[in-house]
Amino acid sequence: MGESWFQREFLNPRRAIFNVVFYGVQLFLFAYGWYSQETNKKLSALNGLKWSVWTSRGAGLVLAFDGGMILVPMLRNIIRVVRPKMTWLFPADENIWFHRQVAYSMAFWAMVHTTAHYVNFFNVERTQVRPEIALDIHYTQAGGITGHFMLLIMVLMYTTAHHKVRAQCFEAFWYTHHLAFFFMIGLYSHATGCFVRDSAGPDYIKTFPFYSTEHCLGYESWRFTIWPGIIYFGERIWREIRARRATRLSKVLVHPSGAMELRIVKPSFKYVPGQWLFIQVPDVSGWQWHPFTITSAPEDPYVSVHIRQVGDWTQGLGERVGAGPSVVAAMTQAAMKGAEKDDSVYGIRGDFVELDPTSNARPLPAVRIDGPYGAPAEDVFNCEVAVLVGAGYCTSGVTPFASILKHIWYRQKKGALGTLKRVEFFWIVRDAPSFGWFQTLLQEVEAAQADPNFLRINIYLTQKIGEDMLWNIAVNDAGAEYDPLTLLRTRTMFGRPDWKSIYMRMRTAIETGQYLPGTNAQLKTKVGTYFCGAGPIAKALKEACHNVTTNNITFTFAKEHF
Amino acid sequence: MGNLIWHEYARYVSLTATVYTVWASFWAFFYRKFFWDFVGGIVRTPGGIQPASNVSIFITLIVKTPVIPVLSMLHGLALIALEYPLPMLKNTAVHRSFVVRIIALLGQASLAILYYQGTNGALWSIVAAICYMRAQALGEKMKEAKANRGRGGKA
Repeated sequence: MGESWFQREFLNPRRAIFNVVFYGVQLFLFAYGWYSQETNKKLSALNGLKWSVWTSRGAGLVLAFDGGMILVPMLRNIIRVVRPKMTWLFPADENIWFHRQVAYSMAFWAMVHTTAHYVNFFNVERTQVRPEIALDIHYTQAGGITGHFMLLIMVLMYTTAHHKVRAQCFEAFWYTHHLAFFFMIGLYSHATGCFVRDSAGPDYIKTFPFYSTEHCLGYESWRFTIWPGIIYFGERIWREIRARRATRLSKVLVHPSGAMELRIVKPSFKYVPGQWLFIQVPDVSGWQWHPFTITSAPEDPYVSVHIRQVGDWTQGLGERVGAGPSVVAAMTQAAMKGAEKDDSVYGIRGDFVELDPTSNARPLPAVRIDGPYGAPAEDVFNCEVAVLVGAGYCTSGVTPFASILKHIWYRQKKGALGTLKRVEFFWIVRDAPSFGWFQTLLQEVEAAQADPNFLRINIYLTQKIGEDMLWNIAVNDAGAEYDPLTLLRTRTMFGRPDWKSIYMRMRTAIETGQYLPGTNAQLKTKVGTYFCGAGPIAKALKEACHNVTTNNITFTFAKEHF
Repeated sequence: MGNLIWHEYARYVSLTATVYTVWASFWAFFYRKFFWDFVGGIVRTPGGIQPASNVSIFITLIVKTPVIPVLSMLHGLALIALEYPLPMLKNTAVHRSFVVRIIALLGQASLAILYYQGTNGALWSIVAAICYMRAQALGEKMKEAKANRGRGGKA
């Protein structure tokens, strides 16, 4: 990676603005907190503690800001409504990223605040500015107790949120992160001990908030920081209510590549392509919600998700519906054989097997879904040409495009494509066997095309190819109607796409009027690129888009965090 | 608990606890206080707690000269070197041993609990030690790093 830290953080204007504003606000609050403590005549007794108390108050004010902000990116329902109107401000679904930045800041300022307080209480005991010892403040007063408690919760939450732990054992992360409830209680009640005061003893009163603001001179920051907490709590209740609305698992299809397709009927669930949902199966776990990309189109009479059995929850779900890992392995083998013999019962590879609920001893499990969340990909219909690029399969990579392609296909049938004239779909995938169910979908979409130019599917296989496979392809490919690997009419390409030349050719074709019939060079054309996958390709695409943009043809780039 | 690999998780807790302890021991050089001085001590105004005479050995080692914080810091730095790990410690028997870590973490906890700033570090070290004990009890093994595997995108 040739990019340095400085280039990444400051030479990208959006990121630079974020850094200046986000860290600027924090530094300002620190300075203000320091200044307001140092110059407060009422607190002159405390100011005898000098720099340590100024530091702790400044850092405390920043922590209040961070404590208020930490929940804001988690207000998923509100973000879903607000985000489409503010795309100029947030590049994509960056809420988890922002959540992490706040958390990192919080850890840093917690360190500053705690260190300063250790000095404060040491000096309170030594000078006896108040008749108490350091350990009294640490372990018998509200500020100390909640503070140490919050630090312990932070250790547990931060360590289990590490991406490796999340991948190994999602529930360790999921359950531990709910300690946030107690963390927030600790945050809101951190100042109830009335440590910052101008009186000798804490001035407690009978009525809420149980200390008098006449003598307790903290920042009263809980009055602000509590609102995101209340709204978040309300959201969780609303999500619970919404999840309880009538939902039925109507079908489970097992695709030979090992993916299970769950088709769920929930009339109250409205969504657009590109969004995702949380799913819960009480028979597998009564508490866990797992995120999956929606693979059906809004026009479908059901909501579908494709689930691969990779973790303990997904395998548990497989066992529950009667398609555990062993069954899937057997099916995959059978299907792979079937691919070589077209007369086999499975027909073409990629055909799925529907689980028959009547043959199964247990009926299909109850499911609950929560959502939808995430960025809609609706603005595909606002460009003349949509370039969809999906890279990789394992991390959601291509799944959102299933929904988008289906949706395009439905709108095409209705003749409601908006300005969209052509779709270029690029799929960059490592190995052939992972094509699976998605390939079936592509076959359907490809077969349904009346205009051969509307949708172009470009598949790139990046894995190294052995000699056997090479000969196999050479023998089967020549003169065959369908590609031997994908069974699509489109030929598979090998290696990595050269984005610059692809975009260059596209531009030349548009300029000469070959690409979009009826369009000439005088009209403005918008080519939107939608990418989902890993970082390096995103960079290459972004550069290519930037390089080929001319006055009349704009190439835009959007990286979607599906 | 799912497929949680306990020793990988314990490493994060251990590193957090140890970095905290090193930071705490640094401050203990300047603000010297025996954590347990309230036991039998009397409070003087000004001056704070005057510890009982039977703990004078700790007063010598923490307050008069910060020997215990210095030991704690060195111990912590060594533990970070082992956990992170330092390149030369990678793939050695010491680096693969959970028992060494459990003993080191409990040792760190007993050093840190002695001085004023060290309590949280001590508590977290015990949490990390418990996680390593769990890893040991489950018979987990530390895999040797696979050779020739660069980081993605860097090749």
